[in-house]
Amino acid sequence: MAQYEKILLKNMEQPGYTGSLADYERADGYQALRHVLKEMQPDQVIEEVKTSGLRGRGGAGFPAGVKWGFIPKDHPGPKYLCCNADESEPGTFKDRQLMERDPHQMLEGMVITCFAIGAQTAYIYIRGEFRLGTKILEQAVQEARTAGYIGENILGSGLTVNIYVHPGAGAYICGEETALLESLEGKRGMPRFKPPFPATHGLYQMPTVVNNVETLANIPHIINRGGAWFASIGSQPKSCGTRIFCLSGHVKRPGNYEVPLGIPFRELIYDLGGGMRSDKPLKAFIPGGASAPFLTPDHLDVKMDFESVAMAGSMLGSGGVTVMEEGTSMVWAALRLMEFFYHESCGKCTPCREGSSWLLQTLQRIWGKQGRPEDIGILEELCGNIAGRTICAFGEAEVAPIQSTLRHWRDEYETLIREAQATRPRKKDIPVFTH
Amino acid sequence: MAASTTTDMITLTIDGKTATVPKDTLVIEAARQVGVMVPHFCYHPKLSPDANCRMCLVEIEKMPRLQTSCSTPVAEGMVVKSESSAQAQDARKSVLDFILANHPLDCPVCDQGGRCDLQDFSHEYTATTSRFNELKRVFQKEFFSPLIETQMNRCVQCLRCVRYCDQVMDVKALAPVGRGTLTEIKAFGTHELDCEFCGGCVQICPVGAITSRLSMYEFRPWMLKRTDSVCGFCGDGCQITFQTKNETLIEVNSTHGAGRNNGDLCARGYFGYHVSVHPDRLTTPLIREGSVFREVTWEEALELVAQRLSEIKTTHGPDAIGGLITGRCTNEDVYVFQKFMRGVIGTNRIDSSVRYGHLNGVHAMQRVQGTHRWTVNFEDVVSADVLLLVGTNITETNPITGLKVKEAVKRHGAKLITIETLEPAIGAISNIVNLSQHHLGVKPTAYGSAILGMLKGVIEQNGIDPDLQTMAPEYCKDITAHIQAISWSEIEEQTGLTSSLFEKAAKVFVQGLKAVILIGSGVLRTSGGFGMTVNLLDLLLMTGKLTKEGCGLAPLAEENNDQGTFEMGGIGAMLPGGKSLGDTEARNMFSQAWGRTVSDLPGSSLPQMIEEATNGNLKSLFIVGENPLASLPPSSGIHQALGNLEFLVCQELFMTETAQQAHVVLPACSYAEKDGTFTNTEGHIQPVRKAIEPVGESRPDWEVFSALSVGMDDPMEYLDVKEIGKEIRNLLPGMRTLGPAPLPAQPDSSAISRYVNSDYKRDLSARYQLPPRMSSGQGHVVLMVSQSLFHSGKFSLKAKGLMQIQSEGKLFLHPKDAVRLGFDEGDRIRVFNGLGEVYTKVAFRERTPEGVVVFPEHFDREIRRLLPYTVDPETQVPYCKLAEIQLGKIVAS
Repeated sequence: MAQYEKILLKNMEQPGYTGSLADYERADGYQALRHVLKEMQPDQVIEEVKTSGLRGRGGAGFPAGVKWGFIPKDHPGPKYLCCNADESEPGTFKDRQLMERDPHQMLEGMVITCFAIGAQTAYIYIRGEFRLGTKILEQAVQEARTAGYIGENILGSGLTVNIYVHPGAGAYICGEETALLESLEGKRGMPRFKPPFPATHGLYQMPTVVNNVETLANIPHIINRGGAWFASIGSQPKSCGTRIFCLSGHVKRPGNYEVPLGIPFRELIYDLGGGMRSDKPLKAFIPGGASAPFLTPDHLDVKMDFESVAMAGSMLGSGGVTVMEEGTSMVWAALRLMEFFYHESCGKCTPCREGSSWLLQTLQRIWGKQGRPEDIGILEELCGNIAGRTICAFGEAEVAPIQSTLRHWRDEYETLIREAQATRPRKKDIPVFTH
Repeated sequence: MAASTTTDMITLTIDGKTATVPKDTLVIEAARQVGVMVPHFCYHPKLSPDANCRMCLVEIEKMPRLQTSCSTPVAEGMVVKSESSAQAQDARKSVLDFILANHPLDCPVCDQGGRCDLQDFSHEYTATTSRFNELKRVFQKEFFSPLIETQMNRCVQCLRCVRYCDQVMDVKALAPVGRGTLTEIKAFGTHELDCEFCGGCVQICPVGAITSRLSMYEFRPWMLKRTDSVCGFCGDGCQITFQTKNETLIEVNSTHGAGRNNGDLCARGYFGYHVSVHPDRLTTPLIREGSVFREVTWEEALELVAQRLSEIKTTHGPDAIGGLITGRCTNEDVYVFQKFMRGVIGTNRIDSSVRYGHLNGVHAMQRVQGTHRWTVNFEDVVSADVLLLVGTNITETNPITGLKVKEAVKRHGAKLITIETLEPAIGAISNIVNLSQHHLGVKPTAYGSAILGMLKGVIEQNGIDPDLQTMAPEYCKDITAHIQAISWSEIEEQTGLTSSLFEKAAKVFVQGLKAVILIGSGVLRTSGGFGMTVNLLDLLLMTGKLTKEGCGLAPLAEENNDQGTFEMGGIGAMLPGGKSLGDTEARNMFSQAWGRTVSDLPGSSLPQMIEEATNGNLKSLFIVGENPLASLPPSSGIHQALGNLEFLVCQELFMTETAQQAHVVLPACSYAEKDGTFTNTEGHIQPVRKAIEPVGESRPDWEVFSALSVGMDDPMEYLDVKEIGKEIRNLLPGMRTLGPAPLPAQPDSSAISRYVNSDYKRDLSARYQLPPRMSSGQGHVVLMVSQSLFHSGKFSLKAKGLMQIQSEGKLFLHPKDAVRLGFDEGDRIRVFNGLGEVYTKVAFRERTPEGVVVFPEHFDREIRRLLPYTVDPETQVPYCKLAEIQLGKIVAS
């Protein structure tokens, strides 16, 4: 089995590492910040990150350096950095580990980012359920402030960066960057239409960068070891660096695995994850969180980089790989995910709001053996009417499980509908739609 | 768009039609301009785009997917396909499919049926069958409020109501609650809707999700007859549309883009229309017989009035008869009334409700700038960069002018300075000081001191206009000397504010390029009101803003036609057109035109008439729509004055306190039943149109005056209102200009020059001294009797909708005061001072400052006994809105 160098998880896997400031400093923490403040100009930092080829680790994979470069330099008012720590994509649990086990790595990344984009205020929008993470981050911010890494006149350089931890209130949609900004402003978390983009009209309509926890955690390493070093890892030229993949489902060893981008899924699932839990054959897997379309055993040799997964008809997304073994009903899997999306649709756009309940009820009927032959056509059409017609990507996300299971396992739907026609269940068996 | 050059214009094609529009125009608006109607629910020109309904999707060349035309700005050479795009048409169809999936399809019982966007678009796009075979989500019906009902199953979640409530009204009473398909519009929190009740959410809802309870189930939209008219409550002059069915008033609304209000209304305008059809309306003329009234015919009543007035005129001379008319009448009514009084009776003893305060503003403007109207209009308020509000929670007195202030501050970043008693606090009613950047919170007795503080701030920062210093050095020197004689410590003591607050506010004011000062009843109706208004004009003069385009003073008219009543000669000493009675040329002009000599004996104000009646010189009063017994406190002597009269005629809608004392009561029409014009607070003359037939035997006021003149053998006959209008127009050219927007009056340089060269001296020392400190004893608080948003005078107490919102007066006080005094919310307490003692309920309001209590004037039947009464020596305006009082618990005996 190949061994890969760990970058983000390195510290926390050292025995006895607590994530305290002292531990982080012993592991050469905040050296990147010292270097930046002493030796670098903001533009140089942005250039270094561009060179590294670092792409957003939240889901969309937008190049981080390019995003920072969109921030207007001559803007007279305040600028903001928001760390998206609202990790709520089903099957994804990497940010949580980064925050709980090595919070200063990410904080250092944030201060450097603020320096690069000229922001004096940064917010960590952390998922409300992450009570422990919130506590740890608040402590870490306090520690760093006391030590002079955060606050006014950082390390005597004159730089001011204040970081605030803001817990969300339990809405999946607040992981979408514009909904996150709305929520942070104290409003109902609903996405804004784009353009204008947050880079020019973000938090309080000011220029804002929103970056994922993992993205920011990579910054100190890029500064310490150089953009070129980072770019040499992974699958060049477009998928550089390592990534933490969250492996879950019917595998022997679920968990977070930091590997260079571009290894095949087979290696993650069978070598690192130890293969299938009950040694049944693999039936399906989700490559990048619940919003990513399902892939099949035929895709096991697809490389885990942004482009290859896209070519295979799915997306690398948030890095949550969920594996399902033979015997899993794909209709049930789609239904289970649809229940999630129905519950989380914010209700702003008509197609998503109304479509999610329509899709859910149709799936419930099919699964409950109340399906009708025309239902498959209705599902396909509804999915087509939702995807691409909403403000945010939630529309595409909620139809992904249905579209992909219909593509690969259409027969399972057809079988259930055929059985429904044959058995005609008694009335009491009909599942009732409940809110 | 004179300034736009070719670079600011953008050319694009929409469905093959070429549109050239200004840069930043949205595609949906550009399409509308070339006649392409893009269907939409959530878009509204008044609101910022939200792009949530997805109905307005269009195909734009070179863009990857369908775009919402409501949120996409135009770009040069853009090619947009709406109706010509199969993809867009398909998307719209699917959006309707989605909306209708959960819609109850209860059109037969929906008040919106027939004027519903969802119905119309469904008709245009959707197949007649739906493939939605699942369960519809159902919201339980909930009690939302006494006036507004929500039927959330019909809602399309476009959030127009929520955005309107926030962006336009600044109230934020509504919020979407729940997620996804369970999203519904509710009041914030778990209580029923408690807001300004502007009705905006009802008006802006594209479907039947939010409806008015006042008209629920009473009509189908296509049965309604529409009559465009003007609201009869405050001076804002909002255009309203009466919707009637078979002579019944069903509802009132206003269309986006209509009138000075641009379709926005307030609670009074939207829910107050039942005042015209209240069952208490007088329907026949009444003649007093002993202690009861007998119903009589118009002939009998008119004959008696004509005969008695003629007798009194013969016996005691024409000046034994006085007239009093309300500022709620039309211009034509007031014109004919004063012509009747001056021409037929032969007296200038005429007064009107303009006297209660608006006159202070008008006289001050006449004195300093030579106009009797504003030199600014609503557009100037919206585009102002500095607004100074003095003595007005404008939201409550003039809500629509208030919206212009909100628009200026919220959308255009104007700086707001307020000299106000109410403090910033979140409450059910939007409090204009919440938006203020420089709030000078003073007691209602200290407005004058605060104005002097502003002037001192200007002078100390060398804010005096250099041109003025050259033109009128003495004026500048005198004012500076008087101001400098007042020390900051004295001003600080009087206002309770530090000098730095005044300095900051004064700096902002001086820097303003377009500065408008709006003043309300706090200035106009409290002691020293005239002087304060003149001082504010001094402030404009000194900073060089009085004659500057877009700058000016704007006294807010309280009643719908206060401004017109003044302009039509509703004040004895002022002839129509704002000319002084002392102006011989003007008097001769009217004498000649009317064929009757206008007396040169000066008229009397209402306070003077009270005096004259008390000492027996005034024998008869002809009161039209006024109710002085309810408007003035007993301390004014009004009871005794009316009791002394030989003959009192009241022409009224209702049997008011004053009408009960009358010898003859004549039933008049309300504004919904007659034609004419109202002049709003900006001086804009707008047509009032008859929406329903007169109630009972009531008649338009001018008809009665005309009939009386016939009875007195001196006929002034008119065929209709148009004929009166023609006469006014001929006498006063430019007086009856009807148009979309008023041209503001221009300051008269000769008047300004007269003022700065000599006239200012006349009362300079009186105006530039701090008022004597009220000797507040221990436990004394200031009672302020003021207007509520939900009522207008005593008139609106007959509007059932408004009474459902506010049906009684409570004494509002700060919770801390209440704790100190040991009161609980809703307690009945004792309010007393040297004038008497009354009992009333208390309610807590955070915005009422400590040491001040507020009572709504509409319910002051009892509490006005405590109000002292003084009269302005110059303008004869009666002041009776403030009192020093004490509060106590009711001790059980």
